[in-house]
This record gives sequence, C-alpha cells and structure tokens, in this order.
Amino acid sequence: MRRSMMTTLLALALSAGTSHAAPVWTGADDQPTSPLACDGAPAAAAPVAYNGGTPAKAPERKGKTIKVVDVPKLVGIGYFNSTSQGVKEAAKELGTVDAKTDGSTKANIDDQITLIDNYITSGVDGILFSANDPVAIAPVLKKALAAGINVVGYDADAEPDARQWFVNPATPNGVAKSLIDTLAKEIGEDGSFAIVTSTFTTPNQARWIAEMSAYQAKCYPKMTWLETVEAQEDNILSFNQANTLINKYGSDMKGIIGMTSVATPAAADAVTQAGQCGKVSVVGLATPNPMKPYIKDGCVKSAILWSTVDLGYAAMQALRASADGTLKPGDKTFKAGRLGELQIINGSQILLGSPAVFTKDNVDTFDF
Amino acid sequence: MSLRTLLRHETILALVAVVLLVALAFQSAQFFTGANLLNQGRLMTEVGLVAIIMTFVIITGGIDLSVGSILGLTAILTGVFWQNLGLPLMAAAGLAIAVGTFCGFVNGFVITRFGVPPLIATLATLALYRGLAEGISQARSVRGYPDWFYVLGQGNILGVPTQLWILIAFAILASVLLAATRIGRSIYAIGANEVAAFFSGLPVNRTKIAVYTASGFAAALAGVIFVSRVSTTRSDMGTGLELDAITAVVLGGTSIYGGRGSVIGTLIGLVVIQSLKNGLSLAGIKAEGTAVLIGLMLIGAILMTTAFNKRRA
Repeated sequence: MRRSMMTTLLALALSAGTSHAAPVWTGADDQPTSPLACDGAPAAAAPVAYNGGTPAKAPERKGKTIKVVDVPKLVGIGYFNSTSQGVKEAAKELGTVDAKTDGSTKANIDDQITLIDNYITSGVDGILFSANDPVAIAPVLKKALAAGINVVGYDADAEPDARQWFVNPATPNGVAKSLIDTLAKEIGEDGSFAIVTSTFTTPNQARWIAEMSAYQAKCYPKMTWLETVEAQEDNILSFNQANTLINKYGSDMKGIIGMTSVATPAAADAVTQAGQCGKVSVVGLATPNPMKPYIKDGCVKSAILWSTVDLGYAAMQALRASADGTLKPGDKTFKAGRLGELQIINGSQILLGSPAVFTKDNVDTFDF
Repeated sequence: MSLRTLLRHETILALVAVVLLVALAFQSAQFFTGANLLNQGRLMTEVGLVAIIMTFVIITGGIDLSVGSILGLTAILTGVFWQNLGLPLMAAAGLAIAVGTFCGFVNGFVITRFGVPPLIATLATLALYRGLAEGISQARSVRGYPDWFYVLGQGNILGVPTQLWILIAFAILASVLLAATRIGRSIYAIGANEVAAFFSGLPVNRTKIAVYTASGFAAALAGVIFVSRVSTTRSDMGTGLELDAITAVVLGGTSIYGGRGSVIGTLIGLVVIQSLKNGLSLAGIKAEGTAVLIGLMLIGAILMTTAFNKRRA
C-alpha cells in the first residue's frame, strides 16, 4: 500500500513534466508571430486606429501639479531601479509632477493588483505600470480609467483598452531579429544554440522566444535550436544552467542566448570559467554594467538592450502629455522631452526605438 | 483550554483592530468609506477562506503549507478542463475543486498513514502541486471566460461583493462547527494532547484527514474565486498564500502548538492585516513599511499569547 501510494505520486509528478510537453518545447507562447524580413526591409505598417482606453470624466489637469504613482512588476532589482530613475528624471524636468515608485518585492499579480487598487482609492491623478500579467491587471486598470485617472504602461503591456498608452521598449519581432542576427553573425548560419530564459510563464520572454523561433525558421533554417532552460532571473541558477548546457552539448553547442539581464552575464561567466571563450558565443539581453568585464576581455562581443532609464522617462512624459491633452488618440508621433519625436505604432503604443547594441567600442559610454 | 484566556486574547485584538480602524480613518479620508471597505472585503476573501480552515489545521497541532499550490493547481485545472476538455465552465470549476479537495485528502493521508510531520508532508506537496500546475499549464494562460463567470469574483449581490457572502457563510459555518460540535471538540482535544485523545477513543486519524481535506477544499474554492476576480489563470497563482493565511491565524491568537484558537480570532486577524495594508497604503506609506509593521505586530501577538500562557501555568 505504502509503496503503491508513493509510486502513484511519483508517476503523477513525472507525467506532469512529460505528457503535456510539445515535442520541442521552446518556451514560446501561443500568440501569432510576425517575423521581420531577413534583410531588414521595414514592414509596411498598416495604420491602426487608436485602441487604447479613455479616462472617464477626467478633471482638467493642464498645467496643474499631478500626483503619479509608478508600479513596476517588482522593486529592488536593477532593471526597475533604472526605469524608476527615468520616471523621476522626467518628473523633475517637467516640474509639475509629484511622482513616486511603489511595488511589491515579488513579481506577484495579486500584490500588484491590490497595490494599484489602493492608489485608486487614495485618489492619484496618474498611474504608470509594468504588468505582471496583461489580462489579470486589466480589470483594476479599467477601474482606474473609470475613476478618471490617466493610465500609461511601459515595459510590459496590459490589454489595450485597459490603459491609454503603452511605451514599448522594442517590438518583439525587432528584439528577435537583433538577437538571432547577432547570433548568426557569431556562430554561422548553421550553428546550434541553446537559450537561458527566466521562466516559461514570463510574458515578455515567451513572446520574444516565439518571435525568435519564427524568425530563425524563416531566415536561418539550418540553425539548430537545442534547448530552452529556465533560470528564474536567479544569478546562481543561471550560471548552473549555462554550465550544464556547456557540459551536456560540448562542442555541439556554438552559442548561448541569454534572455534576461541576469541570465546573460551569468552565461558569460560560465563560458569564461569553462575556458570556452571563442568556442561558445554568448549573446543576449543585458544591462551594460555587468557585461563590461566580458565584453572588454573579448569573451562576449555584444549585448543588447534598450535604455531602461529612457523607458521610464518616456512613460512619465507620455502620462503628463495625455493628462494635458497634448497627446491624444490619432497622433502619429509623440514628442518625449529629450528623446525627441517617438513613433506611435499599433494604435496606442509609443515605440522607444531600436534596441541599443553594446560592444567593446561603446560600452563605456553607458552606465546602468 | 479556559474560555477566559481565549476571550482575553481576542478582546485585546478586537480593541487593537478598532483603534487601528479609527487611527487609519484619521490618516486618510478615503479609508473609512463603504466602497473602500467592501472592496477590501473582496480582496481578502481568498486568504480568508484558506485562513479559516488553516485555523482548524493549526489547532490540531499541524500546518498546511500546500494551500497556495492547491489554489494554483485548481485555477489551472479550471481553465484546462474548460478550454481543452470542452467541459461546461460550471462542471470544469466543480471538477477542479474536487481535485483540489483530493489534494487536501492526500496531505491528510500521507500525514496520518505514514506519520510524516505535517510541516514536511505539506512542504513536499507544496512543491508537488505547484509542479503539477506548471507542468499542466506549460506556461499558457487560459483567458476569455464568459461574462456570467465574473459575477463570482468581480460582481455584487445586494451591493456586497459576491465572494464576501461566500466568506461570511463559510465563517459562520466554521465557527459553529469548531465551537459547538463534537468534531470541533475533537479537534481541540487532538491539538491539546494527541495521545490522550487517541486513548480516549477519539477518531484521531479520521479527524485529521477530514481537516486537511477541508483545507484543500477551501484553497480550491479560493482558486476558482481568484480566477474569476482576475479573469485569467496562471500557474504561479497563490504563491506565498500559505504565509498570509498562517500570519492571520497566528495573529488571531491560535497557538502554533495546537489546542487553542478560534475562527473569530482569525477573522479579526485578517481584518487587522487587510486594513493595515490598505490604510497605510492610502496614508502614503510604501509596501516595505507595511511589511515591517505586520511583522512587528505578529511578534507582539505571539509575545502576548506566551505571556498569557505563563500566567495560566
């Protein structure tokens, strides 16, 4: 009895891992993909009508000082410290914004919803957010709009009609193209590679991986996608996962892509310590500071990321402009302070620009 | 267990709660409004359901760490049964709750049959059930439920959030069960002295299994309500819920060693925590500050219980 009980439990646990897995699980989501042209020709963007929401009966805020709360996915990590820094920078420059950042220390949907709910009750004028889940956050954001609050997202979007504008750091297919093109340049068009991501549930990473998979199939069909592993945005786990990949595939693996600002430097460290510099390439998304040592000693040629400070800065600018009525449905571009004119795509997304590529030549000019 | 000590802890806590509510009302004009308080009731229902049965579990001298994972598993199964198996949503939710309840039964079975300490057994199933949820969902969220389903988590009945009615009914039922029935007295007896309870002819194992099964049911019900409230399912739902529930129970005066506690204490504990979180946030204090305060209150509550016990001894 005892034994059969344990066996059943074990079988149940194991079957969960295998029976539902697709043949090659890439960590992608189910949404449709739209890979860019291989040669980088810009896609003809069909104009989309404004699809964001509108705050109901918003009071006249033009020229008045507004109270804004910035709610990132979580607080206490470098990425969101720098977006928060951007928000403060814009608030200071505008002079008429009282902005603060508040968030849970865990990327938890329930905590985030409760927090926003409380700020709606306390009567803020504007909410900036980076969503832990696009659907779960929508009801509370709609409630904010209904209460006449201006709502602008950045980094990770909600459903379009639950917010006014979304500052998109980079289009998913743009990120996918940058990563795969960079990888192909380093390992050749027939190399094999593996991916270290955060978790399969993280919407941004899942979206990028879906686009990468589509773009690679279209433009580099000879490349081999070995495996995608999860590393939870955890430093030690990322290092271990990268190390396991190196040992497991040996010379069969030519490259590792890091999908988070934690995974990429950890993978670079694993490659360096295994003495595989030059044999295994590391490309990926990363903030420049932790990548400096690896880029400078030549083990890593480049890292990719948008400026997270600019991301927060643009979001704050967009919020002020929509509260003033200077940014309104139908606009094609948006003038975001020191960033200049930004393009508006997909109805209500403000595009921050192409991701920056950090190399040996320019990495010292960035500091975040 | 003397009724007087019980009353004293709860009376003091209730007084603390009243003082707190008044103080918070002065801190922020938006706090003491009907809309805000009802909304807070909506937000605390899931933790509340779990905490009420957690009171039973802790009174038996046990603990159930797997409730958050059961919530996540139930949420995922509701979506999967409905979308992938094509069951009617009502049946899918019912079946998911049945599975969640069974998960609770497995906890009780492992604890009583194999004599595994509850902390270890439910720590294991915490990982097991979360793993199942993640494995089954494969990171895919299920969305787009029909509108009638959202009545449960986002709607009102007679001006009060739907799920708050469920919490109230659940609380009344549980209070009566614990305070005024044979089962309730058996639960106290087991927690006070399990060996004595056994030799007095009480059905120790059966009662414990029933309590853990009920805990699974409460977590599963909370899971379905949670899905309806946030209109999507994710496999990481309910992470850390067990700690919120245990905090409320312990703050409410239930002894972590078993044998003492009450549902009403847990409810006051819940109200204190929820109004602290809400009120401090409205008064402009950041989430970190609130966490520190709740930690301090918990230590205070435990010191208070210990002091009473010493006096009694």
